[in-house]
Amino acid sequence: MGTVHARSLDPLPMRGPELGVQPDDIEAPDIEHEPKQEVLENKNVVVQQVHIEGLGRTKEDLLTYEIAEVFRAKNLIDVMRKSHEARQKLLRLGIFRKVEVVIDTSRGEDALPNGLDVTFEVTELRRMTGSYNTMVGNNEGSMVLGVKLPNALGRAEKMTFQFSYGTKETSYGLSFFKPQPGNFERSIALNMYKVTGQFPWSSLRETDRGISGELSFPVWKTNQTLKWEGVWRELGCLARTASFAVREESGHSLKSSLSHSMVIDTRNSSILPKKGGLLKIHQELAGYTGGDASFLKEDFEIQLNKTLFWDSVLSASLWGGLLLPIGDKPTSIADRFYLGGPTSIRGFSMYSMGPQSEGDYLGGEGYWAGGLHLYTPLPFRPGRGGFGDLFRTHFFLNAGNLCNLNYGEGPQAHLKKLAECIRWSYGLGIVLRLGNIARLELNYCIPMGVQSGDRICDGVQFGAGIRFL
Amino acid sequence: AGLHRVFDLFTSTAAEPWPESATLYQPLKEDQILLSDCASSLAVQAYLRMCGLPVQVVCKANAEYMSPSGKIPFIHVGNQVVSELGPIVQFTKAKGNSLSDSLEDVQRAEMKAYMELVNNMLLTAELYIQWCDDATAAEISRPRYSSPYSWPLSKILAYQKQWEVRRKMNAVGWGGKTLEQVYEDVSQCCQALSQRLGTQPYFFNKQPTELDALVFGHLFTILTTRLTSTELAERIKSYSNLLSFCRRIEQTYFEDKSS
Repeated sequence: MGTVHARSLDPLPMRGPELGVQPDDIEAPDIEHEPKQEVLENKNVVVQQVHIEGLGRTKEDLLTYEIAEVFRAKNLIDVMRKSHEARQKLLRLGIFRKVEVVIDTSRGEDALPNGLDVTFEVTELRRMTGSYNTMVGNNEGSMVLGVKLPNALGRAEKMTFQFSYGTKETSYGLSFFKPQPGNFERSIALNMYKVTGQFPWSSLRETDRGISGELSFPVWKTNQTLKWEGVWRELGCLARTASFAVREESGHSLKSSLSHSMVIDTRNSSILPKKGGLLKIHQELAGYTGGDASFLKEDFEIQLNKTLFWDSVLSASLWGGLLLPIGDKPTSIADRFYLGGPTSIRGFSMYSMGPQSEGDYLGGEGYWAGGLHLYTPLPFRPGRGGFGDLFRTHFFLNAGNLCNLNYGEGPQAHLKKLAECIRWSYGLGIVLRLGNIARLELNYCIPMGVQSGDRICDGVQFGAGIRFL
Repeated sequence: AGLHRVFDLFTSTAAEPWPESATLYQPLKEDQILLSDCASSLAVQAYLRMCGLPVQVVCKANAEYMSPSGKIPFIHVGNQVVSELGPIVQFTKAKGNSLSDSLEDVQRAEMKAYMELVNNMLLTAELYIQWCDDATAAEISRPRYSSPYSWPLSKILAYQKQWEVRRKMNAVGWGGKTLEQVYEDVSQCCQALSQRLGTQPYFFNKQPTELDALVFGHLFTILTTRLTSTELAERIKSYSNLLSFCRRIEQTYFEDKSS
């Protein structure tokens, strides 16, 4: 009983018969033509047809899975809700620019009195999109050209090509992504790339040419990824003044590795989350599928967030990793862990912690790092509701250690070694959130526990990045 | 007083004693090193022994990439890294060790000319035979060069090196030569060296110089390296004074260990 106004669950243009009360006794004499109105009570309906209009190259069979649920709706509210969910599913395929939903009563010969037709009007993305950016980084400028083919073969396959031409180095990459029709969370991705990097903290230059294939799938609440990667790595000295230890690592090597990672992410956002937690465990085994490098690498990342009084958030994070060489060959500088800098232990220079030789940092085979943050809105909340919401002040405490482990000794000795000479720092600063991916920080840091050989950056430190401790 | 200190600094750096830990790096001896690199390395070793400077020879698979110039051999002395015979001679000279100080200017110019001859003829011939002769490249050079690496990197690096050397041969005009012509060039070079040496013990009278070290390095290596054919070694053997020259240097400077 009663009548229902068709309210959208989100601002969608939904056209259909006017639903409203039509008092019988009101009659406007000068209205010539009254649209026929029907009163649809909250009664059972049957969804008879679900169309998708506006398809060009997208194959229909891919979409039937996404819209199948709509058929199961039993009443009007359900139809609206399920249509909304189907719309979200269609959008997340990444192949449509716009999706609109139209719910109408059934027409035609087979039409039932309570039948509904649902139509999804979609606009496909262009076949190929290009982008051009210029980037300025550490002593280098580069031009980045990107070409993307969303929905390359009609089933939400995505192909991207990126080319970066810099004053110093050139990189390019080609990748192909295919989700399983009907199960978007399961996907395979193939990549081919050549990436060059310069690492002034180690006086090292690295060129990686590689191919990789990965398989992602959800298992219960986790997201699992299996990957095989083959990389031809070329290491060289960045300057004539590089230390001999780095010079000894110059040359070519081939790494062929299998890796597995598991991610559970219950945070509400990946940048400045307010609640939830993250657990990421990653392991990599190299050497059993060919190649020169032979090792087992484990690393993990844990983050927990909790909102406290007055809109402030307490965040705790812990990172750790271990690199075990298999066989006689020592580990390569390209596989070891690095620590320090505005994105990990603040107050220290970028990756300038731990084992070093003549000022070049060589990385370590074992590390741990922890951080405790208290994020609060800016004092006095300027620009509230708008720009000011992107900023936060934070108070932080970071600690960690990076060292080489002698695998002849037992785990007790390793733990003891990682617990000696702990570096730590504390301070406060301002964080700016950039979209949903990156953040900028400006901190005042006080490093402590500095060991000889570490390079510190006490006082004001600026950091930009995606992954912060 | 300021000038005095600067002078002190200059002389102290130059006269820093040759450390015991001086090391010479070359590719792996058994499986990897090729004729041309072995010859260059032996030349440097002979030179250092002639100067009386001890050096330890260390074999590393990535020696070529460790070298600042990309060429073998290189030495690590104190915290300095110097590669190739020419720069190494300069380096030892700055430390007060030189074999050619007693030469007159005319003789020194002649010595440099003969060293150029050896580099342009003998070394280039070695590179040609290694990489431009298909039989040698396939049977010896490529397998040896790629031995420390796993497939497919081994293939990539070997072909990359071959392509690079062939391009260089074309650039110096040796691309069109045949193997016979290369052997002829080697013969002519040996004839010039043989004539200059004559019956003397060393090229410049009784004292060896860097030219002796260079010639020894190349000739001795060619004589003692197994290639697909013995033609190259035969050409050298026809000059008996060069043979006795090599034997003499081997006995004088390398008798404590077999090379």
